[in-house]
Amino acid sequence: MKALKLLSAVVLSAAVYAPSYAAGYPEKPVTVIVPFPAGGASDTTARVTTQKMQESLGQPIVVENKPGANGSLGAGQVAQAKPDGYTLMVASIGVYAINPALYKSLPYDPTKNFDLLTVAVRTPNVLVANPSFPANNVQELVAYLKKNPEKVTFASSGAGSSDHLTAALFWQKTGTTGVHVPYKGGAPAITDLIGGHADVSFQNLGAVSNHIKAGKLKLLAITSDKRNQSFPDAPTLKEAGVEGVEVYSWQAIAAPKGLPADVKGKLEQSLTAALNSPDVKTKFNDIGFEVVANTSGQFSEFLNQEISRWKTVVETGKITADQ
Amino acid sequence: METVANLWLGLETALSFWNLAYCMIGVLLGTAIGVLPGLGPVATIAMLLPVTFGLPPVSALIMLAGIYYGAQYGGSTTAILVNLPGESSSVVTALDGYQMARQGKAGKALATAAIGSFFAGTVATILLAIFAPPLADLALKFGPAEYFSLMVLGLVASIVLAHGSLLHAFGMIILGLILGLIGTDVNSGMTRFTFDLPQMADGIGFVIVAMGVFGLGEIIGNLENESTRTVMLKSVTGLMPTRQDLKRIAAPVLRGTALGSMLGILPGGGAMLASFAAYTLEKKVSRHPEQFGKGAIEGVAGPESANNAGAQTSFIPMLTLGIPSNPVMALMIGAMIMQGIQPGPSVMTEQPVLFWGLIVSMWIGNLFLLVLNLPLIGLWVRMISVPYHFLYPAILVFCAIGVFSLNNATFDVYLMAIFGFLGYVFRKLDCEPAPMLLGFILGPMMEEHLRRAMLISKGDATVFLSRPISATMLVIALILLVTVLAPAVRRKREEAFQEEG
Repeated sequence: MKALKLLSAVVLSAAVYAPSYAAGYPEKPVTVIVPFPAGGASDTTARVTTQKMQESLGQPIVVENKPGANGSLGAGQVAQAKPDGYTLMVASIGVYAINPALYKSLPYDPTKNFDLLTVAVRTPNVLVANPSFPANNVQELVAYLKKNPEKVTFASSGAGSSDHLTAALFWQKTGTTGVHVPYKGGAPAITDLIGGHADVSFQNLGAVSNHIKAGKLKLLAITSDKRNQSFPDAPTLKEAGVEGVEVYSWQAIAAPKGLPADVKGKLEQSLTAALNSPDVKTKFNDIGFEVVANTSGQFSEFLNQEISRWKTVVETGKITADQ
Repeated sequence: METVANLWLGLETALSFWNLAYCMIGVLLGTAIGVLPGLGPVATIAMLLPVTFGLPPVSALIMLAGIYYGAQYGGSTTAILVNLPGESSSVVTALDGYQMARQGKAGKALATAAIGSFFAGTVATILLAIFAPPLADLALKFGPAEYFSLMVLGLVASIVLAHGSLLHAFGMIILGLILGLIGTDVNSGMTRFTFDLPQMADGIGFVIVAMGVFGLGEIIGNLENESTRTVMLKSVTGLMPTRQDLKRIAAPVLRGTALGSMLGILPGGGAMLASFAAYTLEKKVSRHPEQFGKGAIEGVAGPESANNAGAQTSFIPMLTLGIPSNPVMALMIGAMIMQGIQPGPSVMTEQPVLFWGLIVSMWIGNLFLLVLNLPLIGLWVRMISVPYHFLYPAILVFCAIGVFSLNNATFDVYLMAIFGFLGYVFRKLDCEPAPMLLGFILGPMMEEHLRRAMLISKGDATVFLSRPISATMLVIALILLVTVLAPAVRRKREEAFQEEG
């Protein structure tokens, strides 16, 4: 009898505690899918951010790399995952804004399949050249390009990458031309740029800042709206007389469409806190990233602008990368 | 003098208790995952990356580096014992190493690999310590044209890999080239031969093909013909190489070390060629080329030294320029970034403890590997005597896990099964898979560099001859081609004359 009483007490108390337990998202580890290989910019963003988020969410966050097809393979899987807050995605401008402009059929629609959470970080691209390249600033480069049409080689980290499209945008806005030389990722492109096998390139600031400091690359301009504190002497493209090439590479976080409101609120709160914490900010700043941490509303508005902008660039430049 | 002071600093760092411990953990883990088929350093390091955040940067990198070269080392064990090359570099080790194992000389093959690797690792570490910066500058001289010519040389050399019919080898290389075309074209971004499957958009992974064609093909073949297995068990002779063996492998180890050290520096996939090149060289200079492919000890010593030397020197572009030469190095750079270290030319001056500590730890790690593995050889060899009906399901499971871990995709496991069947068919047709794998690796790289070189030269094909490094390699390739084909042609003619007479 005593035992039964005890048992019923246990059962009862369990029943009482159950509802609050269910509302206590997260109650198991959260998976963050990165649709690129480990070690890249999206992966770094994911790992630095989630390491901090774990503290406030109280559950481990597992980063899972699902690379393939310019990130659309992993993004497609996230689009189809259950919107319970246990599957998130950290991906780049390419996945959110450029793939939709480039490919006719994608396994996801960035504006329809995701609950956009926040743009985590952004980094400006910089226009760099091999030190022996004749032009020393943007004006000289534009003049040189006009005098030597279809001659200067622009290295990029791949056909349809953000740096490829930045170069295309630059040509369109300055009325110049060049030879696009795609590589498999940023690293080999930078290597050939340093080696003098390619002439110029638009690269993420973080990826080349050390090479600029060491004098292995020549910095011509930066694509942000303001000058960068690490390189105060480098003009923005706007200052150098090229309008409309304000470009950032950015990394953003999203979940499958249809998150419960309380889960979404909790995630947003945890994300904002993590991204704005001083140590995370320093870590990002050290590698040339600037924390954005905007609201989901701002993200969604920004995404629409980016998609239509890159669509125009792709259409004007007749850029193709379609299966 | 400065080098000595630097090395001393490195020694102090690497010999601290915790760094020694992490080095040990790294090489142990590396050996383990290297031995397990399919599980590679890339997946392991990616999984361990979060763990390293809590460590000091030096310890983290020492451990990750240990995993990398430990895996290179462990990979040859599986290649020798069960014909399963988990890394592109151990494909050629499998050629003669596995034959040696079948003749009961597995211990000797493993010991040869261990000694060769240790020697090569030592030399490469010294090179790294003394010549890192100038060597890195040399690596930058390699542009698309040079890489293309290097690949041509590699491809011509790969014909030498074959020890059967030249025609079969040729056919397999072409098949490899064609398989390599699958995936996204780098220049246009278009996908080719993917059947609209997004899983194929990045091409087929090397490990998938190697595991399937070598590993699964071998298993099906063995199951069909149980008698070939029993031969291996009959006589396990001489675990350690004799004095005569050591004499035989001295020169191949030296040549392999030199070749591997040079190719390892090139960030555009030179290290991949190291073991292939060493094998080709050994077969060419050997007085008994007919023994190659049938268990020649030189065929293990040369490539194993080359592969380990290459693994060490591939750190040069990463440490001195911040340029990753392979996916593992890309991950190491990721780890450095997470630790707040911006990889690049400044690492050497701003982080001398890290730079020199890592270099010295690599030599210590190599020593660990030797001490660890020589006594283990007996154990490994006994592993082959495990009844095959226990061994092969285990191998299958590990292959499946390993392949899955690459991209976390089940699709890859099915793909491996298909290649397993193909591997069996190749066996039946007497077609060797090694030339195909080389074609598969080199084909896409050749195409990429060729088209990039042409793009940069604005369609001027003379660029391959006007650039000295490129021209030299093309000339060597031509000479090699003539020496390979000439005897065959002469023989044909002699045969023809005899028939007439």
